[in-house]
Amino acid sequence: MFWEWWQSLFVDMTASSFFNFSFLPKYGEAVIQGVVYTLILSVVSVLMAVLPAFLLATMRLSKNNIIRSISGAYIAVFRSTPLLVQLMLIYYGVFSWIPVPNFLILGFIDASRFIPGVVALSLNSSAYVAEIFRAGILAVDHGQMEAARSLGLSQGQAMKLVILPQAIKNVLPALANEMITMIKESSVCMVLGMSEIMFTAQTIAGSTMISIGPYMIAAFIYFLITYPTSKVIENVERRMRRGDKN
Amino acid sequence: METRTDYIIQVKDLVKTYNHGAVVALNHCSLDVKKGQVIAIIGPSGSGKSTMLRSLNLLEEPTSGEIYFNDVELTSKKIDLNLHRQKMGMVFQHFNLFPHKTVLENITLAPVTLKIQTEEEAKGVALQLLDRVGLLDKADEYPNMLSGGQKQRIAIVRALAMEPEVMLFDEPTSALDPEMVGEVLDVMKELAQEGMTMIVVTHEMGFAREVADEIIFMADGEIVERGMAEDIFAHPKMQRTKNFIDKVL
Repeated sequence: MFWEWWQSLFVDMTASSFFNFSFLPKYGEAVIQGVVYTLILSVVSVLMAVLPAFLLATMRLSKNNIIRSISGAYIAVFRSTPLLVQLMLIYYGVFSWIPVPNFLILGFIDASRFIPGVVALSLNSSAYVAEIFRAGILAVDHGQMEAARSLGLSQGQAMKLVILPQAIKNVLPALANEMITMIKESSVCMVLGMSEIMFTAQTIAGSTMISIGPYMIAAFIYFLITYPTSKVIENVERRMRRGDKN
Repeated sequence: METRTDYIIQVKDLVKTYNHGAVVALNHCSLDVKKGQVIAIIGPSGSGKSTMLRSLNLLEEPTSGEIYFNDVELTSKKIDLNLHRQKMGMVFQHFNLFPHKTVLENITLAPVTLKIQTEEEAKGVALQLLDRVGLLDKADEYPNMLSGGQKQRIAIVRALAMEPEVMLFDEPTSALDPEMVGEVLDVMKELAQEGMTMIVVTHEMGFAREVADEIIFMADGEIVERGMAEDIFAHPKMQRTKNFIDKVL
């Protein structure tokens, strides 16, 4: 009885359908463009998030109640709603008012979709990166600021010369992890027709009637990018911690 | 309105409370220090010694009261506090060296950033001071390669490089292994002999007795008694002082 049920699950599916990659010769170039699209999209988004995130983190650490809660509200909203919803609201909402130039980047990235996508992803990412920065700054021993101020350095000088160099070191692994998260999360951009990895896989599936293989390739690619990267980060992190012990 | 006094530091009716008054760390403390004096602040833990010391350069912001440094009111909002902090060296219990900078960079960072010395001058001053404390060979090391005693001597040098008029020591030997206490106290003794004005919060009674011109005994956020070292240790006037001295000696 169990085996009958078990076999019924695979009626229309042969094991080979998972590994039907016959579309590759024809669509290889599209897949590579998809990978490049995903990488550019996620890297640009995280880099664009760094500056606003730094601003948000500084505001979050401010003594002023109002400034602190503005930043807090931003972070709360963007971390507590799905990225997909934010993407929709920004693309169909905000960018229905803002004209976007229509041209191709590298010959296959459509700017009129790419720009709103990057804006949405980096607005979202800046909320997460802000918390990373905040934790990084707070992780620097309080005595460091006191020592710097006791020497007569201003708050800004102490921040720039003493606190931030140490905080950045704390933060780099977490920032790299955010990059990995973004590589995976950026797949939601397929709903806007941005031809990154997932959209490419869907397109191939649609036009070849090979329904599983393209998504398997997508999964492989995401894994091949993110897993080794996360291992490298882990390694760097471990080595940094070893150098750190006082 | 500046009236000249002989005092380098004056504290008038200083109060510091935490949690909106629930915890009183300093209860109406007044204090004056003349140029060249070495003052040791002793007392049980939690008596407000460190809070008092840290208030002097406003690392702790007083709840009320006034603090004067060279007859300038530091507690006034109108002054540039950073300018005055340059002249008040501070040494911390946990050294607080900058771990991402070499020993030399630790020492030259403030004088160069604040444009008090050129990079060349600052380097010269730093090397000279390092030589004095016997750590010239550590100039290019990073702090995590040093022992506690070495770190603290470098922290003292870092403060001295700013050519301060007064040095504040916040339990400078409390975080050190016993065998390293001596090397730090020796540097401090030398400083005192050279006429540096020093205020030292310490648990080293031997040091206080030998080096300090005057001892201040604090308990429960109040200055209980102040006097010459011999008087405080041998003939304390107040019962609370006597109890403490009996316990620690």
